Amino acid sequence: MSEALNVGASRLARDARLLRTAWAYELRKVTTWRVGFVVREVMRGVWRPLVMIFVYRALLAGESRSIGGYDADGFARYLILAAAFEKLLFHQRGLDLADQVFRGYVTKYLVMPVRFYVLALARFAQHLTIQGGVAAALWCAGAWLAPEFWPHPVSALAFAQALVLVLLGSYCYFLVCFLVNTLAFWLDVVWTLFAMTSFVFSFVAGVLVPVSIMPDALREAFQWCFPYWAVCAPVELFLGRLDPSAFPRGVLVLLVSIALLELARGELWRRGLARYVGAGM
Amino acid sequence: MSGEPALTTIQRMTAEPVIRAAGAGKVFRSWKRRPGLAGIALDFVRRERTDVVALQEIDLAITPGEFVGLIGANGAGKTTLVKCLTGITPVTSGSASMFGQDSFHLRDEHKRRIAIVMGQRSQLWWDLPAIDSFHLLREIYQVPRADFEVRVRESAERLSVADKLGRQLRQLSLGERMKMEIVGAFLHAPDVVFLDEPTIGLDLVSRETIRRYLAQINRSRGVTIVLTSHDMEDIEETCRRLLILREGRMIFDGDLVGLKARVYERRAIEVHLEPASRAWEPELAARIAEFGAVLERSAPLSLVFSVPAPDVQRFVPRLFELFAVRDLTIERHPLELLIRQIFQGAEPHRKAPGE
Repeated sequence: MSEALNVGASRLARDARLLRTAWAYELRKVTTWRVGFVVREVMRGVWRPLVMIFVYRALLAGESRSIGGYDADGFARYLILAAAFEKLLFHQRGLDLADQVFRGYVTKYLVMPVRFYVLALARFAQHLTIQGGVAAALWCAGAWLAPEFWPHPVSALAFAQALVLVLLGSYCYFLVCFLVNTLAFWLDVVWTLFAMTSFVFSFVAGVLVPVSIMPDALREAFQWCFPYWAVCAPVELFLGRLDPSAFPRGVLVLLVSIALLELARGELWRRGLARYVGAGM
Repeated sequence: MSGEPALTTIQRMTAEPVIRAAGAGKVFRSWKRRPGLAGIALDFVRRERTDVVALQEIDLAITPGEFVGLIGANGAGKTTLVKCLTGITPVTSGSASMFGQDSFHLRDEHKRRIAIVMGQRSQLWWDLPAIDSFHLLREIYQVPRADFEVRVRESAERLSVADKLGRQLRQLSLGERMKMEIVGAFLHAPDVVFLDEPTIGLDLVSRETIRRYLAQINRSRGVTIVLTSHDMEDIEETCRRLLILREGRMIFDGDLVGLKARVYERRAIEVHLEPASRAWEPELAARIAEFGAVLERSAPLSLVFSVPAPDVQRFVPRLFELFAVRDLTIERHPLELLIRQIFQGAEPHRKAPGE
């Protein structure tokens, strides 16, 4: 029993060391081209909230009305925060597993003493590092340029709760990306699937419209989905629009989602790989 | 690396095989495509499955320290055989094993003893210097840092790419990139290395450097090397044993030295004819048969004969009797010609495993 534990612990330590090295390797890859880095990593996700701010301003122009308790400035603050948190969510472009499957590059890892998932996890770690830095820098720049207008956390607790939910949500997004990429073992429509589903995910997450102003039935339904707890709920906790007592429910939904997605990931990867090697790619 | 002892010939002969295949076969399932517009519609509604036999009844035993050449025409099953032996893909009949373990279920400690260089699938990242990718490989194979430094330096120097380690892979020439792949493959001091077309598209100097490196590391460290190549020079200059695949079957498994001896037994005589000369006619075959000569190639004004070496002196005057000869050249029978004959089934030779 203790021997099995030792083997497990040693394997975990080995994976952790590999993760650290692969993380540094991924950081090098993503920062090799400076212009590409700025366009892809810094500017991605910035334009949509800017457009949406103008849309909401136009909708609410000339009248002192609000929708669901959000006025024009409220919407702007919500969209800024949602954009900042969304940058932390793992993005489908961060994983090129489907390409690797199609081109047969996965083959080389089959003869290496490595768990492929550790290398994929390094992408996740790299994404969090880069996007965490970029989001923090953009937020600080905004707070410095427009301190009165910029959204600030209502409390340290709210900030911590929001951050925990976003990080767990980001891992859920990573697992979904991995799962969809794994479908490349059977399908050639991986990017089409991403294109079809990304808008739905954005809607459920409240990236375009806060979930709290949606009809009751939708709101109730979305609160059982992890995207809501990855963007909308953290933003509203941060702004004090959602009671901190909602936090445990969010953590629960995210942890259950992670457990289910992990199961699906393991099973799909196993079956996909069996098909891949059977086809002799 | 160079200080590590190599296996002696006796050790090799008595050692257990590191690679073994017994009746190994591989069948892929594929979809049959029907032709024409109707075929498109029918295939969309209901596809027909078909079995493609990639390997059949492969028997093979490779002992530690051997340098084996694996050749065959395109589609002969070379890459599939390498994939079955390394456990990338499972065999569908018979067995394939490495280090006494079923290849498809190798444990990490066995995988650490293997390296594979696939010409078409780089293990290095295009946008980064090779040294960065080597650091990742070091962690994957858990190579101690001191060993890593020594091996990278030694291999890179021998392959003449020591000054290119810090340059982006995309900025290197094809030959330099392949050399980096080879440096990466030998980083963890593997016992068995598979190289799939490592010299394809490379210039003479790069090919020569890679061959010398492989031969040297095989001799000094006793690394077992299986080399797949279409370039007979690669095989001739490095391998001691040759495997030839045709349509998924092993049609030759034997000593390259023995094969070369057969090459030296014969001469190739290329005859250039005067325009007024008679052309080759099938009935002439009987008139050259007494010398053991056979026509290998014929063109309107040139003929190539293969003749046993001792009969050349008697055969040449006969050529002058039969044709209006402008000039002729006598050369050693090219190994490629013999290999082609084996490919075509004219020279069948099969060696039982362990023979």
